[in-house]
Formats: sequence, C-alpha cells, structure tokens
Amino acid sequence: MTELTRRRFTAGALAATGILAAPAVARGKGKPRLVVIGGGPAGATVAKYVAKDSQGAIDVTMVEPLASFTTCFHSNLFLGGFKGWEQITHPYKLASYGVTHVRQMATGIDRDKREVTLADGTKLAYDRLVVAPGIDLKFDSVPGWSEAAAEVMPHAWKPGPQMQLLKAQLDALEDGATIVMVAPPNPYRCPPGPYERASCMAHVLKAKGHTQSRIVIIDPKDRFSKMAAFQEGWQKHYPGMIEWMDPKMHGGLKSVDPAAMTVTTDLETIKADLVNVIPAQMAGRIAREAGLVNETGYCPIDATNMRSKLDPNIYVLGDAAIAGAMPKSAFAANSQAKVVAMMVRGELAGARTFPARYANTCWSVIETDDTIKVGGRYEAKDGAIAEVEGFVSKPGEDAATRRQTSEENIGWYSGITADIFG
Amino acid sequence: MTRSGGIAVLAVLAAQVAAADALRIGDRELGEYLSSECVTCHQLSGRYDGIPSIVGWPPDSFIAILTDYREKRRENPVMRSIAVKFTDEEIAALAAYFGSMAPTTGSLAPKTD
Ligand SMILES: Cc1cc2nc3c(=O)[nH]c(=O)nc-3n(C[C@H](O)[C@H](O)[C@H](O)COP(=O)(O)OP(=O)(O)OC[C@H]3O[C@@H](n4cnc5c(N)ncnc54)[C@H](O)[C@@H]3O)c2cc1C
Ligand code: HEC
Repeated sequence: MTELTRRRFTAGALAATGILAAPAVARGKGKPRLVVIGGGPAGATVAKYVAKDSQGAIDVTMVEPLASFTTCFHSNLFLGGFKGWEQITHPYKLASYGVTHVRQMATGIDRDKREVTLADGTKLAYDRLVVAPGIDLKFDSVPGWSEAAAEVMPHAWKPGPQMQLLKAQLDALEDGATIVMVAPPNPYRCPPGPYERASCMAHVLKAKGHTQSRIVIIDPKDRFSKMAAFQEGWQKHYPGMIEWMDPKMHGGLKSVDPAAMTVTTDLETIKADLVNVIPAQMAGRIAREAGLVNETGYCPIDATNMRSKLDPNIYVLGDAAIAGAMPKSAFAANSQAKVVAMMVRGELAGARTFPARYANTCWSVIETDDTIKVGGRYEAKDGAIAEVEGFVSKPGEDAATRRQTSEENIGWYSGITADIFG
Repeated sequence: MTRSGGIAVLAVLAAQVAAADALRIGDRELGEYLSSECVTCHQLSGRYDGIPSIVGWPPDSFIAILTDYREKRRENPVMRSIAVKFTDEEIAALAAYFGSMAPTTGSLAPKTD
C-alpha cells in the first residue's frame, strides 16, 4: 500500500511537470508498462536500468524462472578450477530498483493485444516488450546426438547442470585420455568460447600431470576468433596436447555415437573418453514462436536502437538478436541493454535520448596469467551495427601485458555482474 | 601584503570557479548515459578488482587522461577503443558525472600522470 501510494505520487508529480510526455503509449490508466522476457545479461540489465533511471515512472516486470543466474561467461574458469560455482552464480537483487521479478517462463506473446502469457496462464499487458531469451541449441544439427545424448556428451553451452556434468567428466579423466570437442558453426554464442574451453581443459590435464592425454577439436570453420594468439599459447603451455582440425583436415563431421563414445568424421572414427558437443544455435523459442526471427533463426533489429524490425513495440537484444559486427557475448548484451533502456525511457517517459554507442570486449584465458582479448566499438552504419574501432591480442605479447589482461578479465567480471544483477 | 594577498585570493577564487564550471558544463544526462558503458568494467562503488576506480576524480585530470586515450598517447587498447570517437563535450560530461560521485568502497587514489 505504501509502495502504491508512493508510486502514484511519483507518477502524478511527473505528469504535473510534463515529464510524462508519451500519451500515445499510455494504455488505459496507470503507468506505462515494460515487460522484459529473460533475466540474462541482456534482459536483467534493461530491467534494472529502466527501473533505476525512470524512478518509478515506468512499471518494470522481468519474467525469468531462475532465482539466481549462473553465468556462462567465466564458466570456463569454473571448468579450469580457477573459480568456484558460487563465484559464477548471482542472486537477482533488482527489487531494490523497483523491478518486479516474475519467476515463470513466458509461453506466448500476443503481439496484437500486446500481452505476454505465462506458464501458469497469467497474462501481462505491455506498452513495450523486451525479448531477451538468449539462444536455443539445435539438437538435430549433429547426427547421432540429441537432448538425451547431452547427458552423456554434454554441450555445457547453457548454464546449469550441464556445466557441472562437463567438469565432473573432465576431473575424472586419467592420463592417456582423449577428449573430442565438436565446435559449432557461425553464428553462435561467444566466438572464442570453445577455444578458451579447450585451453581450460588442457590446464586441468596439465596440472594433474597428464602427458599422454589429448584434446581434438573438430571444427566446421576454417578459422576462429583470436586464432593466432590461441595457437601460439597452446604450443607454449600445452605442446602437442591440443589438436585443432578444420574441415580440410577432417573432411566433415559424419556423426557421434553416445553409446560407443565415438566421433566419426570423413577421415576417421575417434574413440573418446569425453565428448563435448557444441551444436549450431538459434534464437530462444519464445522469439521464434512470436515470429520475431527471420530465415537465419535470429531476430532482425534496427541498428540505431535494437527495435525489432518485425514489431515496433518490441526490442530484441543479446544472443537472440542479429547485431551485425557485434559478437554474441555478455558484454555485447549488456552494452545493447543500455541503448534499449535509454530508448524505452525515451518512448515511455519522455527522457532524453542520445545516439546509440555499442562496445564489446571478450577476454579468454589460455593459462594462469596468460589471458588474451578481442574487442571493439560499434555504431549503426548503413542499417547494420558496424565496427568503428577494433583490437585483438597478438602473438608474441610480453608476459606483463598478458598478466595485466588477466587482471582486467577478473575486474571486468566483478564490474559487469554488479552492473547486471545487483 | 594587502595587494599580493588579494591576488592570491583572486587566484584561488578563479580556480574554484573553473572547477565548478567544468562540473557544470558537463551535461549530466549525457554523462549518465555514457557512464553506463564504463561501469561494465569500472565499478561505481570505486572498488578495485583489477580495473582502476574512476569515481571522485578532479574533472581536469579525468579529462586529460581520457583525451590521452583518445589521442592514443596512452597504451591500453580497451580504453583507446572506448575513447576513440568521444567529443570534448562527451569527455566533459563524463568527467562531471563521475567527478560528482564519491566512492563507497576501495581506496581513492586518483592518478594524475
Ligand atoms: C562457455 C562460454 C563462455 C562465455 N564466455 C564469455 C565471456 O568471457 N565474455 C562474454 O561477454 N560472454 C561470454 N559468453 C557468452 C554469454 O554467456 C552470452 O552471450 C550471454 O549470456 C547472452 O546473454 P542473453 O541475456 O542474451 O542470454 P542468456 O544469458 O541466455 O539469458 C537468457 C535468459 O532468458 C531466460 N529465458 C529464456 N526463455 C525464456 C522465456 N520464454 N520466459 C522467461 N525467461 C526465459 C533464460 O532462463 C535465461 O536466464 C560465454 C558463453 C559460453 C557458453
Ligand atoms: C572493457 C573494460 C573498460 C571499459 C568499458 C571502460 N574502461 Fe576505462 N579502463 C579500463 C582498463 C583496463 C583501464 C586501465 C588501463 C591502463 O592501464 O592504461 C582503464 C583506465 C581508465 C582510466 C584511467 C585510470 C587510471 O587510474 O589511470 C580512466 C579515467 C578510464 N578508464 C575511464 C573510463 C571511462 C570514462 C569509461 C566509459 C566511457 C571507461 N573507462 C570504460 C577498462 C575499461
């Protein structure tokens, strides 16, 4: 009741001073409503920033089943034993900013009525909707593999039990083990992620004194993010342990067999002790079912503000969106979220808006004190998000630079998780 | 005494006015929006976990450092790419915004070099 009175008062006071200058979207009585689907780096950041900066003028509801979020970013550090599970798990602390967190799945979007349906049948009306469900995995993109097979050959490309399963399998390996990683085709979540993962796996094997174990990466791509620096690092820290195969070498992935624990390419059948299948990906189901994707399986957006090209009342951001030159990363999702939050406040509360600025940096751990990075700054250009300035770690950098880059990575993680969740 | 004392007082006053101007000239709303990009790495609380604190700095040193990154006189590629397209007005807005905040944790050790 007190909360209601305070909110009414704030809205009234704002209306009186003319700040609430968006009558077109005020549906019925009450405050304009923002509904956010997904509480990942994309959705949670939008919800927090709109609530924080609109100071009660906009009603913000975040629909996300989880009570706390385990990040995919730095999950490779968990795998490598650099971080504990609790260090990559963050309870939401968004209520203090005025975000209402509804712990359910959204099951449907009625774009004509501007309503979201939740798993329990509740309907939430919105003036603006943010759709940020991340990715879904294409379980049928690797012959022989399936959602059930992922219990044997984990993907660990979404947070939760899959990551713990992969770590348990890795930690149980004896010297002489063969790990096969099936790498994904573009575009996918976290371009350097598979190669950072291979590095962190090698770190664990090396630390356990393995000399005979090997990691084979079967890649559908003929090059990958930060490739030169990764390959130099592998040679330096894990000589002979990591073998990367491009399509010219393996001739194409034919199938995997979870019962026999084999991976078959055009070249050979490899008997493995651990198989990590990272399949092809697409925008999360809710975005697909609401008709927000195009033929690529991802959501086209207006590069100047992340608004869906298919529905002017909806913004799509993070891994689900087609963000041009920006990779699918938590950093990018968080950066896009700040643009969306500003635009939403502009539309629903008459706040000032500025030209969108986007940025990204992805750090990758190769070994203790040896971290590399790739990043850039981006702007809307000719209808797409384009890079205006970029950088990437080079082979041959000195140890001090790599150590500083390692520290930045740890500092960034503290910064961004405080920014997203609390 | 009276004469030189007066000049000294005037000089101090002028310096204070200049500092206040820098804070005022910086557009706070613009600074607030631009700052949202920075807090992905630099914590608003001022806490250091591997990336330096940037809250509570005198605006002039803040402006000088960001300008150095923009002009590529300072090394870090992350900060260079962040600063590359900033206008003077945007840098002033950021200096004003972060300058007006006090760190809530960590040590306040603004570097001016
Ligand atoms: C191994 C690995 C390493 C990575 N390393 C890095 C890194 O170092 N740096 C970096 O920047 N990024 C990294 N990433 C990428 C990063 O994790 C993703 O880009 C980021 O999580 C995308 O954020 P998002 O909010 O778009 O999606 P997500 O993080 O997937 O969040 C989506 C949320 O939406 C919820 N949701 C989905 N559907 C619904 C629905 N219908 N109703 C309600 N809620 C729903 C989900 O529960 C989920 O919480 C890494 C990823 C992996 C896999
Ligand atoms: C991707 C992470 C990242 C982002 C985003 C970022 N910074 Fe930085 N910043 C750094 C790092 C790392 C350093 C230390 C660089 C060095 O050693 O030169 C730094 C250094 C600085 C310094 C100098 C600090 C000192 O003690 O010397 C200032 C000032 C600064 N940043 C301001 C900003 C502002 C303003 C923004 C937003 C517009 C911003 N930064 C965004 C990572 C970041």
